[in-house]
Amino acid sequence: MKFFKRNLPLVLVFIVGMVTLASYYVPHRASQEVYLDTMNKWVNIIAAFAFLLGLLSLFYSHYHKIKKKADGWGYSLFVYIGFLAMIIPAIVSEGQQLDGPNLTSLGWAFRFIYNTLAATMFSVLAFYIVSTAFRSFRIKSMQAFVLFLAAMVLIMGRVPLGDLLWSKILGWTGMSLADLVEWIMHVPAVAARRGIMIGIAIGAAVISLKIIFGIERQYMGKD
Amino acid sequence: MFKEYISKFLKLDRRWIFLLLTIVIFVPIIKPLGLPNISIGSNTKRVYDFIEALPEGGFALLSLDYDPSTRPELHPQAIAVIRHCFRKNIRVAIMTFLPGATGLIDEIVEKIPKEYNKKDGIDYVVLPYQPNYVAVMTQLGSDIYGIFRTDTKGRSTKDLPVMKGIKSYKDMSFAMCITGTALLDAWVAYAGDKYKVPMLGGVTAVSQPGYGPYLQKGQLKGLIGGMKGAADYETLLKKLDRGTKGIDSLNLAHFLVLILIITSNIIILITKYL
Repeated sequence: MKFFKRNLPLVLVFIVGMVTLASYYVPHRASQEVYLDTMNKWVNIIAAFAFLLGLLSLFYSHYHKIKKKADGWGYSLFVYIGFLAMIIPAIVSEGQQLDGPNLTSLGWAFRFIYNTLAATMFSVLAFYIVSTAFRSFRIKSMQAFVLFLAAMVLIMGRVPLGDLLWSKILGWTGMSLADLVEWIMHVPAVAARRGIMIGIAIGAAVISLKIIFGIERQYMGKD
Repeated sequence: MFKEYISKFLKLDRRWIFLLLTIVIFVPIIKPLGLPNISIGSNTKRVYDFIEALPEGGFALLSLDYDPSTRPELHPQAIAVIRHCFRKNIRVAIMTFLPGATGLIDEIVEKIPKEYNKKDGIDYVVLPYQPNYVAVMTQLGSDIYGIFRTDTKGRSTKDLPVMKGIKSYKDMSFAMCITGTALLDAWVAYAGDKYKVPMLGGVTAVSQPGYGPYLQKGQLKGLIGGMKGAADYETLLKKLDRGTKGIDSLNLAHFLVLILIITSNIIILITKYL
């Protein structure tokens, strides 16, 4: 059993990881087309099973919440209601959202249920952001002041009203708001972002190698 | 007395702020301010110039990876770019990695192609949703039909006139990802950098600063950012639509945030030092 539970997955990960890594550098057709084509099909099949597994896991966890009458169990009912509200129309309309110029039942469910609910969820965020900005953005240090100045310039630069006010009030300086925004975006913001990206890339490469060589084994369900 | 009075403002019930924001957003929708869009973002202009310079008959691959939550910012961008492609007689293939985008794509193809008398399967095609972006992006480098055998209507993609002469990235004029997720980074890494297909992007305003390094190095040929980017593109295209209409609400909402932050900090300064 140890062979199937531990050794075989490690060997599979090592072989597939090394071959995939090598395929990136080998320009031969067998590497660039045949191997990648096959692997891509496999990955898509595995992704489909992962979808199913995720769905079953979601249903299972919410079923237990309802069964135990855990806090907020009523919301768990909506997982099933929402699922049925989309899946039944999807089956009835065979996955099509349009039938010529007309909406199918799936198209209707998407446009008038999913569309509106998802948009509402995200719009609520705007109200909390404004409220939080008012309550929490305290300029207590020089760093906070610099952050506020940069944020103010960027916020103003994002909207025509900012441009208009800048040109009326600070037009005499000869510097346009757009120039200032460009400078912030292309110099300090890029410098910070580039540092973060290099750090993430090195981290990802290290983790990948650790997985390929069997040092990192959390994907097998234990340390 | 005065300090106590103004410090009450800091404990303002947040529902008043919610009401204020609602008014600030709704009023311009009912009665637009019509402020002129003075400055066009340079990165948006780069997208416009790139497409404008393409010859007729080119092929654009658009990955519309956004759902209704980011629709106000990204949908106008997608519509503007598709209009531009149709105006230039560039063939368009639309795909997505987000199931929530499928209905939004249908909304686009229901309306926009008619404006330019474009036909499904001849001038544009909608490819079905695919779950795994790494597999799809690498597969598109060798054989598009290996992963998109049929379109959303079940027709063989290989036989569609719109796909004539198209097998992989090297046959495409450009690829563009419009997204509120990190998928644009994956497009740059797996498609742009590896297969040298020119990449364009469209993102939400909040994630726009993160793409500076790609723009500086030419890994992205241009980037449309947020609703302002959409409004800029509509201005360049001389076809004002939802992006421009939404910008008034954005104007006032942004200024409300600034005013609230400044006011609360002034009150704190007064109560502390005066």
